[in-house]
Amino acid sequence: MKINKNYAKASIFIAVYLFAIYIWTLPFQDANVPYGEWDAISHWELADFIAQRDQTFSTLPKFLDYSYGNDNQFKPHTLWYHPPFHVDMAIISAFANDRMIPIFLTNAIFASSILISVFFVINRLFGFLPGILSAFMLIFSMRDILPYLWGQWPERFAYAFIPLILYCFYMYFTNYSNENRNPAYLYIMAILLGANLYIHPLVMFHSIIGIFVLVIILAIKQRKFPLNLKHIGISFFIFLIMAAVFPLQTGNVILSFAKSSTDEDKKYAPISTLLRLGPDPDNFVGSVPRMYFSFEKMIGYWGFLDENTINEVNTDSNLFKKIKVNFTNLIFISFLLGIIVTLYRRGANDLFLLAWLISFYLIMHRDIIGISTFLHRSFSAAAHIIIPIAVIGALQIYTILKIPEKLKQTLKYISAAAIIILTLKFNMPTAYATLDNAYDSPLLRINGAQVEASEWLKANIDENANVSVIGPFPDIMQKAWWMASYSHRTSFFFEGFILWPSPGENANETAKYHILNDYVLFDYTDIGLLSGRSLVDKWLNFEKLNMENHKLLYNKDNIRVYKYEAS
Amino acid sequence: MKLPKIENIGFIAAATAAIALFFYFILGFSGMLSILGIILLFIVPTYLLLDNFKLGQDEKIVFAFFIGAGVFPILAYWLGFFISFRAAIAVSFIALTASAFVLRKYKNTS
Repeated sequence: MKINKNYAKASIFIAVYLFAIYIWTLPFQDANVPYGEWDAISHWELADFIAQRDQTFSTLPKFLDYSYGNDNQFKPHTLWYHPPFHVDMAIISAFANDRMIPIFLTNAIFASSILISVFFVINRLFGFLPGILSAFMLIFSMRDILPYLWGQWPERFAYAFIPLILYCFYMYFTNYSNENRNPAYLYIMAILLGANLYIHPLVMFHSIIGIFVLVIILAIKQRKFPLNLKHIGISFFIFLIMAAVFPLQTGNVILSFAKSSTDEDKKYAPISTLLRLGPDPDNFVGSVPRMYFSFEKMIGYWGFLDENTINEVNTDSNLFKKIKVNFTNLIFISFLLGIIVTLYRRGANDLFLLAWLISFYLIMHRDIIGISTFLHRSFSAAAHIIIPIAVIGALQIYTILKIPEKLKQTLKYISAAAIIILTLKFNMPTAYATLDNAYDSPLLRINGAQVEASEWLKANIDENANVSVIGPFPDIMQKAWWMASYSHRTSFFFEGFILWPSPGENANETAKYHILNDYVLFDYTDIGLLSGRSLVDKWLNFEKLNMENHKLLYNKDNIRVYKYEAS
Repeated sequence: MKLPKIENIGFIAAATAAIALFFYFILGFSGMLSILGIILLFIVPTYLLLDNFKLGQDEKIVFAFFIGAGVFPILAYWLGFFISFRAAIAVSFIALTASAFVLRKYKNTS
């Protein structure tokens, strides 16, 4: 039986992508409760609120306004993100009639869609093998996995648009001639750029810089510039219409951008930073771990040096140390070979890749002109361009050598096999373990009793009522946030009255004043996991002393809810 | 009315079934419904629209997913102010799919 080659290739890609999805969904395959940091909570609740309420909104409900009321600088107390990303997740949540899996799965598919766009573009421009191997290596890119787990959801999806936007422009530019004036690619590019704005405006600026670099490089290479005002005008109009569809959020983007560009906020990086690709980890202490800035830890290290030596190296390490680690790393060497191959050949497709790399470099050095906001976020796109160049370096370096064609082919397949083996050996274990163990601690995910209590609050108390969660210790604070999110009710934290010394002797009086007319929630489900026993005693005493005369509304599985009214 | 011809419909159907089954095994019924929702709501209507242009099938599928995720929610969001969100999803699906057929008819007659 003859197998259709295209079907075989499509099947291989589907298998690779499903493998990626299997790994990327590990954090919620066996724990059907939401997880993640503060950002993840905001994204989940925006989507969940729409699906649960069965209605969209612009003005923020109280539980969202409490934390995000001023995030839209153009019109405070309204939705600060462009709606599509969260509406997408809400659509799937409503379609599948579930609050957890559809939202987290849609996010996993969006976040891993960089595999789809990189495969598609590299397959189209360089062939199947570089495309599939790039996608395969990207499955394990820790610089994608970590922000995905932390909760930078829209940003992960937005980066997948960059290769497609550049591809559309590339196709329009390279195919444009007197005979062929098909503007479809340019119009699709404009729609993708509009969608890119919706998903994450920062990334849209990255796409625009990419187009700018690509125009210059292709114009020089092809000695032509397809200046068709009608096509450009229509594309611009499409983008403008898309931006205008959500005026409040586009206004917020414009205002935020204008504010970040004011002189008083500007911090200019020294020129010497141009010599390195990534930002200085010291500028992000407390925001992201140092290892996030390590090429070896995030993209991979295929070499013989021990773990300690690799751990010492970062973007701010001295040159000798860097050279020692970089030049014993086969991924880094392949990356350099990829640059050499593309520079040597300078075909239009090679220039596409170089333009993408240059635009990434320019974006990473925008702090030279004083724009340093979210520089570390932009760095999360590094693997998307470094990995395809490294794969092309490893597979196609032989194309510029004067050796027999048969040998070239043999070496290409040996390299491909080596890439698969080394990826599985070096990259997969860390990525798998990180995803498999993510948020495994019972202190980080709400338990069944907390889900049930949250659902009770959602169903039984007024939408504008305040819920005071008494005593979430710092190590379980994240759970109080998730419960607020799950119940769609404001959760005003009261740990201070138990833990902080400041209210002193009047602690109980101060607490009473603050919680007046609130629903007060005591959650002891995690009490066995907490170490500070004296605090636990204070916690129990607080309830005993203050709740005796108030109405107990909910009492199940060590969670109690009172209505605290003046007595 | 002439229906659009989707190339390799047999392979696409088999692949979709395999994908749905895969999601059922790793995430249960909810996971399977979610992936079918993504395919049906984000990809299918936009694919039918893009089918009116000279593009490769892989281009149509990939662009359909990314454009669908950006454009479908525009309709659902604004309609969701006036009707129930679930009804808005259905109306958006019908509107986008119908516009693909209208565009096809227009292109065939012009």
